[in-house]
Amino acid sequence: MGNSKLYKGSLNTIILKLLEEQGKMYGYEITQKVKELTKGELKITEGALYPALHKLEAEGLLDVEVAKVDNRLRKYYKLTEAGEKETVNRLAELEEFIRSMQNLVNPNWSIE
Amino acid sequence: MKLAQNQIQQLYTFTRQHYVEYYDLQTELVDHLSNGIEEQWQENATLSFKEALQKEFKKFGVFGFMNVIEQHQKSMNKRYWKILVRFVKEWFKLPKLIITLMIFILFFLLLQIKNASYMLMGGFLLIAVFDLYKQHKKRRINKQKKDKKEKVFLLEAMIGGTRNGFSAITWINLYNLVHLTKIDFSNLHIYWLFLIAAIATLLCIAFYVTAYVIPQKAEELLTETYPEYKLV
Repeated sequence: MGNSKLYKGSLNTIILKLLEEQGKMYGYEITQKVKELTKGELKITEGALYPALHKLEAEGLLDVEVAKVDNRLRKYYKLTEAGEKETVNRLAELEEFIRSMQNLVNPNWSIE
Repeated sequence: MKLAQNQIQQLYTFTRQHYVEYYDLQTELVDHLSNGIEEQWQENATLSFKEALQKEFKKFGVFGFMNVIEQHQKSMNKRYWKILVRFVKEWFKLPKLIITLMIFILFFLLLQIKNASYMLMGGFLLIAVFDLYKQHKKRRINKQKKDKKEKVFLLEAMIGGTRNGFSAITWINLYNLVHLTKIDFSNLHIYWLFLIAAIATLLCIAFYVTAYVIPQKAEELLTETYPEYKLV
């Protein structure tokens, strides 16, 4: 597993980006999707995912839906309008960050 | 293999045993654990329910659900605060603005009368006693509900509980305001009286909103916050 500390600051952005692509997702699905996309390199811990989701929800960036699946209730998250705008901003920020890091670590290499 | 209904119930009990007090968070964690257990069964069908559950719970780390519970509370505080601001704002728009101005003017005039603090204290004491009695009655009902293990949502508890905390803050602040200075209010500069009257007015409105408006609209607010509120 990669250095999770490096990923930690980007957890919210990762969640927003996933929801932007997938529409609506539930907690467990998000952990599995991240594992799949990063080929197991990044495992979002359960103890960090739900606090992040609840925080984004309280900030008004996420909306929730509940459906009955296999005799239990499942809570789905999706982006609100404000959430969609924020996703664009945060992704731009993250790209800027990656670019700066590239310049710091390896000035001769370019993302383009 | 899918989880049976009684296993779902066991998971609810499990979350309660691990200090997840409120139904909204319990439900989300039960679904998460269920998904994890079912996934483990796909790989190893012989695994017992208890073993799979322990494995899944371990993924939450040494503190278990603690971090999740704490953040859930924090997020809900933020939402409660937003609801409070939303309702308080109404008092600064017509028609309620007129009442706000009347309360303000009343405070402002009272403060200028000699020995006004005694009158104010008397008035506050009366309301505080009445409010404490109401809180006490409400708390008994809530306790009965909890003892019966009915599903209690966090925001629901906060509409009851935070309101008690907030009322206390209001009374303490009003008390402090009245006792802020040893000198009689009527001797203070008019700007101070203006400020004190404004703070007192705001506290009164905030108290009224937390103690009466929000509890009255509880049903509506809970449905708005929890899509599952009507389902259970």
